[in-house]
Amino acid sequence: MTLNILFACLAGLLVGVSRQVNGRLSLSTSPLIASFWNHLVGFVALTAFGFAVGGLIPPGAADAPWHAYVGGPIGVIFVAAGSWLIPRIGAINTALLVIGGQMVSGVVLDALRTPSPAFLASALGVALILSGMALTHRRR
Amino acid sequence: MIPADKKTGVMIDPSRQRINPLHLAAAFGTGGLLTLMVHFNGELARYGNALFSSWTAHGTGTLAALALLAALSLRRHVADDGAKTPAPLWAYLGGISGAVTVMLTAVTVNSPLALSGTLALGLAGQVVFGLAADRWGLFGLPRRRPDLRDIGALALIVCGSLIIIVFAMEPA
Repeated sequence: MTLNILFACLAGLLVGVSRQVNGRLSLSTSPLIASFWNHLVGFVALTAFGFAVGGLIPPGAADAPWHAYVGGPIGVIFVAAGSWLIPRIGAINTALLVIGGQMVSGVVLDALRTPSPAFLASALGVALILSGMALTHRRR
Repeated sequence: MIPADKKTGVMIDPSRQRINPLHLAAAFGTGGLLTLMVHFNGELARYGNALFSSWTAHGTGTLAALALLAALSLRRHVADDGAKTPAPLWAYLGGISGAVTVMLTAVTVNSPLALSGTLALGLAGQVVFGLAADRWGLFGLPRRRPDLRDIGALALIVCGSLIIIVFAMEPA
């Protein structure tokens, strides 16, 4: 269990490292070029890992509907946007605002699919996030 | 526009550096993209596995980025301003970090931590790294010092996110 906790924290840390490194690359190139290298290098690394451990192309993969493959292209915009933002508003602001957007859009998506089982908690969470965002924005 | 000043090492004064509405909207929208991305990649993982899903997303992403770059270069010739210093080699390796992230989270979401625990601890990891990265200007990006208002915003967004993760998330 300790190892799992360590892994989960490390995963968050590496999300930050990745964004920081891609942001540095985008300063010398462009956000889209940084996103291209991020995906290509990640693809090569995962291919190597897949050949080493096996299971890269599992049975049943061919049954996936076409829209399941949309995640990759969305990721290109996601990485480019992060690389564009981080030199402009800083690492902690980028991280927090992206997390805020993820949480609020997740709540909205859930609410659209099924009536939320915890409306009050969702609403309170969204209200806190939005007020945090307002605070970063308000002028002195 | 870019408050970078790595040559002089000047610390950016946050009181003059409020986030403008465009950046705020872009960051918030990026979070929305992340929700969609996680949804679609999760769908793909359901048919295959986490490694297949991430591998495919990186592959299709590489092609999509190439297509976008080609489309942009057709529209206008990119002016080479020559002012940019070349990137260090390590700056091309951000994708490794992303690939390792996928493997770690594939383990933790299937552990007792589940999705909510993975997200909550990942949030902690991101906050700690983000604060350190800004404080010391890690990986060649500008240094920034948070003021009291930034800390307040941090506390509000973290609390709001944790409430959603802990109380409003459907058990996986």
